[in-house]
Amino acid sequence: MVLRNLKKSYNGRCVLELDELSLEKGKIYAVIGANGSGKSTLAKLAAGVLGHDGGRTEKPDLSIGYMPQKSFAFRMSLRKNMLINGDDAQRAQELLGALKLGHLSEAKAKRLSGGETARMALARLLMRDYELLVLDEPSSAMDIESTLLAERLIRDYRDRTGCAVLIVTHSINQAERIADEVLFLSEGRLIERGSPEKLIKHSENEITRRFIEFYSK
Amino acid sequence: METALHKAIELIFSGSALLEDIVWVTVRMSLASSLTALLIGVPFGVLFGSGSFPGKRILVVINRTLMGLPPVVCGLLCYLMFCGVGPLRHLELLYTVTGMVIAQIILITPIVIGMMEPFVSGIYPDIRETARGMGISRIKTLGLLINESRYQIFSTYLMALSRALAEVGAVSMVGGAIAYKTNVMTTAIMNFTNMGNFTTALALGIILLAGSLVINAAVSLMQGRAETWC
Repeated sequence: MVLRNLKKSYNGRCVLELDELSLEKGKIYAVIGANGSGKSTLAKLAAGVLGHDGGRTEKPDLSIGYMPQKSFAFRMSLRKNMLINGDDAQRAQELLGALKLGHLSEAKAKRLSGGETARMALARLLMRDYELLVLDEPSSAMDIESTLLAERLIRDYRDRTGCAVLIVTHSINQAERIADEVLFLSEGRLIERGSPEKLIKHSENEITRRFIEFYSK
Repeated sequence: METALHKAIELIFSGSALLEDIVWVTVRMSLASSLTALLIGVPFGVLFGSGSFPGKRILVVINRTLMGLPPVVCGLLCYLMFCGVGPLRHLELLYTVTGMVIAQIILITPIVIGMMEPFVSGIYPDIRETARGMGISRIKTLGLLINESRYQIFSTYLMALSRALAEVGAVSMVGGAIAYKTNVMTTAIMNFTNMGNFTTALALGIILLAGSLVINAAVSLMQGRAETWC
């Protein structure tokens, strides 16, 4: 699948300028870059939740699931939150269980901690099968155990549905663990893309190398 | 003072027909006006808080101005509309409870909109982004927004009811405070005080305060519930 015309400016400042982005079904892509490099903007444009400059982002007719950076819990139980995005109660329970939230299914979602809310939001999104899954820092509020559980769940979901997954992350380690391919953004431009091995360990690009060195410290 | 207070409390429990009528007219008028204002105001509050359309800012500013509309000005405008030479004279609404209800709706609806708009604009961006991310329809997103706002809607209603019960300027001008017809608690307190009948005025004041206390307790309870049950 190819997404075209991913461009966005705020108050005249260009935050993302990408003519096209090709993604392959069944692959997980990690988007890395410093603050303000355009990662979240890319996620929002790819998901179609953000209007952008000069026409529309062209993308194939896909079903797209998107998890925003700020997870939102609706004022109801976890189980009911899950059933907003589907009606398979058994699947809802399985997904909650996979993220160690099964025992909280009747609890009030607004009372969850930040990390639990993020886990619930991820589980809720995975209730439905999408062709493209866009996750904006899904594990930024999670501890390492929950992060690893979430990563396993995302991989299982990809294996089952064959979808493409685009994950925005600040963690080089996470990109290395989960991604088939890593995309490095800087100042709104795609500087480099490649396998984690190539981009993180053996990049020949000076900007990428400096970023990786700095964030690996 | 103590004697008047004692007599006022006795009067409240004496089953006075006049008192009962005044309370009944007040309750009828306040419920009708606050419920109607809620039914009109909530959709507009949701629209202003969640919508994006040309002229929205101007409408919000106009609404905020109307929130401070002096009741006597509202009463005067309604009087001029309903009186013998007014454009709506054929409706014969002057000195009727319906006329008073209309005046109160004009006063209270901007307050309902003004309470809903900032609340909705605070929660809507997150709800919209989350719902769109899941591919949920706009109608279902609206349903989720309303569900998320339910405590605010109820609190807003209680504030509207409280305002309707305590309002005096507009209802006295439009209703004329006619005994056994359009006399409500606030206008009756004024009239009885002017006549020197402090016992009845005080009795009505106690009932009004008790009503206000119940409403405020309910608002406080709702806010507490909204914080704990989410």
